[in-house]
Amino acid sequence: MSTPARDRGDLVAARQAHAVNARVHAGTLTEATAPVYEGLVTRGIAFAIDSAVINLVALVVSVSVGLALSVLDPSANAETLALAVGAFAYAVWSVGYFVVFWSTTGQTPGDRLLQIRVCRASDGNVLRPRKSLLRFGAMMLCALPLFAGFLPILVDNRRRGPHDRLAGSVVVSAPVEPRPGRA
Amino acid sequence: MEMKSPLGGLVAVATLPATLARGGARVTRRAVGDLAEASVNAMLESPRTEQIVDTVLASPLMERTLSRALEGQLVEALSRDVVRYAVLERVAEAILEGDALEAVLDRAGAADVPRRVTERMLADGVVERTVTRVLEGPELERALTAALESPGMERLVIRVMESRLLDEAVERLLDSEELWLLVREIAYSPEVTDALSHQGVGFADQVAGSVRARSRRADAWLERVARRALRRKPAGELPPGPPVGPA
Repeated sequence: MSTPARDRGDLVAARQAHAVNARVHAGTLTEATAPVYEGLVTRGIAFAIDSAVINLVALVVSVSVGLALSVLDPSANAETLALAVGAFAYAVWSVGYFVVFWSTTGQTPGDRLLQIRVCRASDGNVLRPRKSLLRFGAMMLCALPLFAGFLPILVDNRRRGPHDRLAGSVVVSAPVEPRPGRA
Repeated sequence: MEMKSPLGGLVAVATLPATLARGGARVTRRAVGDLAEASVNAMLESPRTEQIVDTVLASPLMERTLSRALEGQLVEALSRDVVRYAVLERVAEAILEGDALEAVLDRAGAADVPRRVTERMLADGVVERTVTRVLEGPELERALTAALESPGMERLVIRVMESRLLDEAVERLLDSEELWLLVREIAYSPEVTDALSHQGVGFADQVAGSVRARSRRADAWLERVARRALRRKPAGELPPGPPVGPA
């Protein structure tokens, strides 16, 4: 659990990192704006969209594999093995989906639609893969007691849940700049 | 045997001068009429008359006269009266209902009138001058405005719209291959497909924006309720966070 002192330390580090960034990439970075932390409902909708994407892809793949296996008529042992492989692949796919998106762009497709972004609380950069994996595991644990683990988001000043504190992340608003019109 | 009375003879003798005078006047009028007709015929057949007409048509006087007539109130007055008394409709109906139009056209065609008139007007430059003057002047616009705003034009348009001719024209147009080829070309043109895709993206953005706005309102409401339930202070100014640019 973080303390107020740790929060202040995060703030100082964030300002220093931002100042260094501004000096190094002067003229290339978009002008920084005050962040807006996103709440439970917005993040829940984004997560629901991601879950729908994950399950839709998994459904299409499993139906395709099931149809192929029905033609081959495998034995009972082979079916059990296929189920185990399928379950493992589903777990890898789910974990990989979040970890890869959080570690590369900071946005899953659901986050992109809701215009929110997961980033490090210290400097605003994307999470490292290890932190992303940690965040995902903590998120699963928060979901176990009927999602009660996410309730601290409602009362935290930066709208952070336990998984955010553990991974040192925040979820902020990331509005998309309007595209320039065609000439 | 009939007996002539002496009184009748006296009356005949008394009216004889008057009878002679009437006969003389009739002969004189006929002679004057014949003379006038012969004079007019001679004048019309004379090449001098043709020269005079050509000179008048080619002279600046003709142009000035035309300009004066068009610049004055004549055009407006004529347009108003033509519209008010439905002159065009009446004339058109009378011409179309009778055989006069065909007879006139036949005779004019037989006498090669159209070609001669056209050649003369083209050679003299009358057409160019008239067209230029009419197109450059405001009279045409005023006349067109008056005609378009008239009830007669409205009735005419309604009759055209209700006529079978328009229905047949539309049916033929819809049956033509060229029309659908044109429609296909337009529908698959890059401009139209770009516009449609932008429209689709715009709609999706609109839906997503609405969801975002509602979810953020729900966040704020839920947090107020949670803080009140836990007897915490309402969320004030949030602490500054990491620099965040657009997605």
